[in-house]
Amino acid sequence: MSRDLAGVWLTEAAVFTLVVAGILAERPWALGATGGALVAAGGLVRFVPRLGAALAGAFARRRAAALAGGAVLALALPLALRSSPYWTFVATLALLYVTTGQGLNFQIGTAGVINLAGAAFAGLGGYAVGLLTVAGGWPAWLAVLVGPWAAVLVGTILFVPILKTRGHYLALVTIAFVFIFNILVNNLEFTGGPQGIKNIPTLSLAGYAFTTRPALAGVELPAHANFYYAALVMAGLTTWVLRRLHDSWLGLALNTLRDDEIAARCCGVSVTRGKLLAFSIGNFFIGLGGAFYAVVVGFVSPPDFDFGYSLVMLSVIIIGGVDSIPGVVLGACLLVPLPERFRFLHEYRLLLYGVVIVVMLLYRPRGLWPARIRRYR
Amino acid sequence: MSLLEVTGLTVRFGGLVALDGVDVVVAEGETVGVIGPNGSGKTTLFNALTGLLAPAAGDVVFLGRRLTGLEAHAIARLGIARTFQASRLCLDLSAFDNILIGMHARRRTGLLDSVVRRGRLVGEMRAAIERASHLLALFNRDLPRRGFERVGQLPQIDRRRVEICRALAAGPRLLLLDEPSAGMNPEETAELMRDLRIVRDEMPGLSVVIIEHDMFVIEGVSQRVVAFNYGRKIAEGSFAEVARHTEVRAAYLGTETAHA
Repeated sequence: MSRDLAGVWLTEAAVFTLVVAGILAERPWALGATGGALVAAGGLVRFVPRLGAALAGAFARRRAAALAGGAVLALALPLALRSSPYWTFVATLALLYVTTGQGLNFQIGTAGVINLAGAAFAGLGGYAVGLLTVAGGWPAWLAVLVGPWAAVLVGTILFVPILKTRGHYLALVTIAFVFIFNILVNNLEFTGGPQGIKNIPTLSLAGYAFTTRPALAGVELPAHANFYYAALVMAGLTTWVLRRLHDSWLGLALNTLRDDEIAARCCGVSVTRGKLLAFSIGNFFIGLGGAFYAVVVGFVSPPDFDFGYSLVMLSVIIIGGVDSIPGVVLGACLLVPLPERFRFLHEYRLLLYGVVIVVMLLYRPRGLWPARIRRYR
Repeated sequence: MSLLEVTGLTVRFGGLVALDGVDVVVAEGETVGVIGPNGSGKTTLFNALTGLLAPAAGDVVFLGRRLTGLEAHAIARLGIARTFQASRLCLDLSAFDNILIGMHARRRTGLLDSVVRRGRLVGEMRAAIERASHLLALFNRDLPRRGFERVGQLPQIDRRRVEICRALAAGPRLLLLDEPSAGMNPEETAELMRDLRIVRDEMPGLSVVIIEHDMFVIEGVSQRVVAFNYGRKIAEGSFAEVARHTEVRAAYLGTETAHA
């Protein structure tokens, strides 16, 4: 039993060390070496069945310990990245993508409601925060909590065409909505036009501004560490809530609606109620990610929420695993930092991105961490 | 007392009259067989009864309530469950999940229980899985052990059983079976007949309407037979009576004049 525990924690620590080393590596050979080590380790687990099975068993038996270990390492990340503060910001962005990704996955993966307007719903959350704080004078934390409801509300209005279309047509309706959203915020006066909304106040709780550099036992952390921890809590809560909703009557009903609408209806599942719930709950978390983004960056503008970001969110789901909640976490943690790390490839890194998605769809359509059978625990 | 009363039910697809003023009555606890050539309106009858199609005219009364105009999910909740000719299981979900969706309408826990009062939901789900296991075991004692496997990994006959279990899980008063023996070989069909008798014995109050092309199945399970042709009911009675009926024989074998 204690061998399981050691296996779990050692694996987690090894992955963490390699990832941090990869991020901080300055020379190409060091980056290559850590990247190679990660891929080799992954290959070993994948292609040596006994090792893979042993590890999977250890993680399954020691779920709580594995989660605790992961939490400790996530908390320690800004400490490990102290020498390169920018990376704490990137890690914060990854956590925002976990939040929006979970929301979008609940729509696309669980309910089969193909929403390619993720960027617009995130934008609604972000712009709501901008307007509430700058024009309305609200405190940032309250605006972050209220902002996502703008996404939910507008989503409800959009729900009529969404209920009446499915598949490709639904995708087209939502694509149209991103462009409408972008044109509107670009041209409307109160959204600041192409300039967007600037000077969004930072988060502060009980007089403590989040831009203060935090210190932990005398060690100074990067400036973004406060946001990182807040985003960690947000992404963690989102994942927790949506995992529980997924493994419940609602998640089951949505999966059935996705796979066979007629069978679902004949089992007493209301299509309208199911899709409305999936769409609204998803939009809330997508909007929450956008709202938080506004206070982290301090401004929102149209290019922050254009169609390209819808595709990034979609890619997070495809790479991680459609309908897979841990998959979304993995997808966001891979897809957000990797292009940053390969900035020296300039525009070619976006090409790499496209290639990765095509390869995934061809050879691993269920994603890196496929959805599992529900056990209702 | 009759459970289901269908009077003058008419369904049109554009100019085509798929069901033409059909009257059918199903009593409580009765098994009614529905026969007729392809395209005679049998499945259309089921689709109209379950709310998937809107009838152009006629009335459906179930347990004293008019069903016409109700949505499919509302009709299902009143106690009508069905299976489909081509299997409509969610192949990526587990066998248990496929059966559990049948119990969805009778759930007692809500969204709040799913997230914060998790104990209630887990308790209800355990009981539901227990019930699903019990249903599966009626047909095949080894099947509950495979309940957490993807239903797509089960053999054809077991998938059909999962589908029947899904319909039974809803605790219906009326079960509509749309050609359950479709695509089965003779041995599988024999097993299916045994399964249907188990349903009979275990749920004596349940009314069943079964569409079948296999006359052995119809003869073996139904107490009364209704025959369709060109959207009309052409005969009704015991299997022997209907089988002797000249119009039925003509519908299946063709008439002398048709060959001349």
